[in-house]
Amino acid sequence: MNGIGNAKQQEGDSSALHKKRVRASIKGTFVLIIGMILILISMGLSIAYGAADIKMATVWEAVSHFNPEITSHQIIQEIRMPRAIGAVLVGAFLAVSGAVMQGLTRNPLASPSIMGVTDGAAFALVITLAFFPAATMLGLTISSFAGAGLGVILVFTIGAFSKGGLTPVKLALAGVAVGSMLSAFSSAIALHTQVAKDMSFWYAGGLTTVSWGSIKILLITGGLGLVLALYISRSITILSLGEEVSKGLGQNTLLVKSLGVIVVLVLTGAAVSVAGAIGFIGLVIPHITRFMIGSDYRWIIPISAVLGGLLLVLADIAARMVNAPFETPVGAITAIIGVPFFLYLARGERRGL
Amino acid sequence: MNQSNAKKKKFIVLIILLFILTIITFVLSLNLGVVRIAPIDVFKTLLGKGTARDQLVLVDFRLPRMILALLIGAGLAVSGAILQGVTKNELADPGILGINSGAGFMVILFIYFFQGSMNSINTLVIFLMPLFALAGAVLAAFLIYVLAWKKGIDPVRLILVGIGVNSGFGAAIIIFQLKMNPQDFMQAAVWLSGDIWGTNWKFVAILAPLILLLLPFALYKAHILNIMNLGDQVATGLGIQVEKERRLLLLAAVALAGFSVAAGGGIAFLGLVAPHIAKRLIGPKHQLFLPITAVLGAFVLLLADTIGKNLLTPTQIPVGIVVAIFSAPYFIFLLMKAK
Amino acid sequence: MVSLSTENLQIGYGDKTIVENLNLHINKGEITTIIGANGCGKSTILKTLARVHAATSGIVYLDGKMIHKVPTKEIARKMAVLPQSPEAPNGLTVYELISFGRSPHQSGFGRLTDKDRQVIEWALEVTGLSLFADHPVDALSGGQRQRAWIAMAIAQETDLLLLDEPTTYLDMAHQLEILQLLEKLNKEQNRTIVMVIHDLNHASRFSHQMVALCKGNIVKEGSAEEVMTPDVLKTVFQIDAEIVKDPRTKKPVCLCYDLIQKEPELEHRKVMNF
Repeated sequence: MNGIGNAKQQEGDSSALHKKRVRASIKGTFVLIIGMILILISMGLSIAYGAADIKMATVWEAVSHFNPEITSHQIIQEIRMPRAIGAVLVGAFLAVSGAVMQGLTRNPLASPSIMGVTDGAAFALVITLAFFPAATMLGLTISSFAGAGLGVILVFTIGAFSKGGLTPVKLALAGVAVGSMLSAFSSAIALHTQVAKDMSFWYAGGLTTVSWGSIKILLITGGLGLVLALYISRSITILSLGEEVSKGLGQNTLLVKSLGVIVVLVLTGAAVSVAGAIGFIGLVIPHITRFMIGSDYRWIIPISAVLGGLLLVLADIAARMVNAPFETPVGAITAIIGVPFFLYLARGERRGL
Repeated sequence: MNQSNAKKKKFIVLIILLFILTIITFVLSLNLGVVRIAPIDVFKTLLGKGTARDQLVLVDFRLPRMILALLIGAGLAVSGAILQGVTKNELADPGILGINSGAGFMVILFIYFFQGSMNSINTLVIFLMPLFALAGAVLAAFLIYVLAWKKGIDPVRLILVGIGVNSGFGAAIIIFQLKMNPQDFMQAAVWLSGDIWGTNWKFVAILAPLILLLLPFALYKAHILNIMNLGDQVATGLGIQVEKERRLLLLAAVALAGFSVAAGGGIAFLGLVAPHIAKRLIGPKHQLFLPITAVLGAFVLLLADTIGKNLLTPTQIPVGIVVAIFSAPYFIFLLMKAK
Repeated sequence: MVSLSTENLQIGYGDKTIVENLNLHINKGEITTIIGANGCGKSTILKTLARVHAATSGIVYLDGKMIHKVPTKEIARKMAVLPQSPEAPNGLTVYELISFGRSPHQSGFGRLTDKDRQVIEWALEVTGLSLFADHPVDALSGGQRQRAWIAMAIAQETDLLLLDEPTTYLDMAHQLEILQLLEKLNKEQNRTIVMVIHDLNHASRFSHQMVALCKGNIVKEGSAEEVMTPDVLKTVFQIDAEIVKDPRTKKPVCLCYDLIQKEPELEHRKVMNF
């Protein structure tokens, strides 16, 4: 009697659930595809726009039938293409980094820029610039990478050994503390050794110095990071249910967290070493993604990558447009979007993760 | 009560000890520097019997600077103590809440629009810059208050909004800084790191009464601060007008921070660490720990300034950096131990 | 005589209304407990009675006067409030905590007069904490800590005492300790006590009046015998219970057996609407 009725109902329920999942997958794929198309278009725009105006047709020509004699082709190949590709990659890396961090710490306010990452990289950079002025681009990149890692490790260590764990406030404050300390050291050295002005460009973030060499670095390191992120995406979803719950479900939380930290380190380190301190992408994009697609990190990670890349390309175009022909630091544009969003989050009662 | 008598004795001992330490540092600071003046000569000069050169260095340069250091140290420390009480968060400080960067932003604007004027400390600069800094501090506080207000102020929200506002002003500061010419840029950079730049008696004359008025005011509110520390509900139950008092105290804290930043640039962490140490030494009763905080803040800043001036001569390490380098690790330690 | 009463009180948080049209009366000199399921609004009502939370509309009367028109310090001389899980700052001693209870009678600096000291000593005695006066509050046991907070409320010298879940995190012995203290305060000093409590049997034993709430509305108001009935408990808690008489106190005691099942159809529907 009841048994049969219930069984029928259960069938109905599970098919409803199944439908919902299928719908979600369709939505996810849809967003991904549209996102990637938009990226290609924006890249095209980005390459076309600039101090020297170049038509879109020329852009296509430069890609397909490259002629080293034509200046505009040169500009496209040497400067603009790497810049556009760099924007997509850096944006993607920062967004995924933020998503992973928010999942790991169960904290909607986590983001690479509050994590002491940028100040760590800055610190390493200052030391390199001040004491090894002959360092190559590669050397600088590596050192800022190392510095970023240092910053992240410090912040997470504080959290790990902290009473009561890493609450949102504590995380933000730990980031401020580590950041200020490293920043103070950096300032002291920078002022003493006269490298201060170089550093401030870096602080504001910019894609002006992106070269094919940087792209190679980005692709290798970031590629690894992205793959790893996708690999642990399902575990992060489970982790976001809570420490005890996920342990109860058989998760090796320590392993997941360690891998997660490595992902954050690699992705953010790569991004920051190439493009300087660009804030708020890691904060804002994961929220938008979650809003669109729910809490499944297997979707959140790829979609955040796509949206992050899109945002940064557009922000870069805006950065060049705003005060033409001077470059506004792209970090300023992302701050203009990011700070109000952060404040909105800070006011919110929602605990959506 | 035995306990309170013991505490009172401890209080007196601590205050005397801190005073002695401060005086020693004071004398040392007068002595050290590019121009070294022996302690005996210091005393002679103070009594009006020194050489003209000594007179110039001591009375016109070092003395006002050190007095400012004392005032700023006390001001920032007490500001932090009040903020911690009002936000019920042991980790609050005017730097973290963005009040310093608000002031800094206005100062950067000032430097940007009055380019090149930082070189001469003329009357205009002395009067206008602190005003700009104060306006910036108030602006930041206003923004934070308004944004954190949602039918009342939740302390956690206040801190988070503060951090947000801090980031915002930080970004704005960088944008303007990059537009400056190299000289102004350096001036700005140094100021932002915390630098007691107004070595001029006129400056002291303006700031001293302002800060010296606010400090006793804080003490006057000690009882109320004690009660607010018990939580909004208990405080309301005891008949305190919580929102009104919170606003008033915030205003006082912001004013203290604003004036201190005007004179000393972006010095962070002092307002955080000094109240903590004071509380550990003497307990949470504001009547006792506020005075200790003030004297401790004054001492620490004077010490930091002395170190900053003399450690890597001829480079002057901005005092804010020295404070940050020593306080940040302690802050991190506190963060790990706090609940 | 009525000590506290409300008229058409409406209370909410943000856009959500939790209590509507509440007309409650608290009698002077009695112990009144408010009971109800989680989320039914009992704490919210208590906070609004204590003017700690603002009502959306309606009036609270304290001793016949509209509470929002009386200066808050004056109210504090008539009504003391003890919220849920209060926190004392690190290092504060019991004596110091109790002394804060004198602040509605003090001005400005908070200097303790001789009268203040007398009252504090007396509060220490009544709560049995005289030996602990110089101990830090956070070093006490749960029951002692709660007693310290109650001592602070007593030191306010008010007729009315409001307590929000004063026994919730305490073990049996400490719960009894607190409730007996409150009973003593009521019997010996004629204080009016209003409290929110989860344990129904404690409420039944120690109160003169009980108020049973369901979703912000009063389901039943009256003596323990009137409120502790199977029907009321079914409405308020959705439990199937039997009421028996306590052999010693003669008060009604509830024995809970089962949750009352809702139709399975409705249960499923609820679960499916993620």
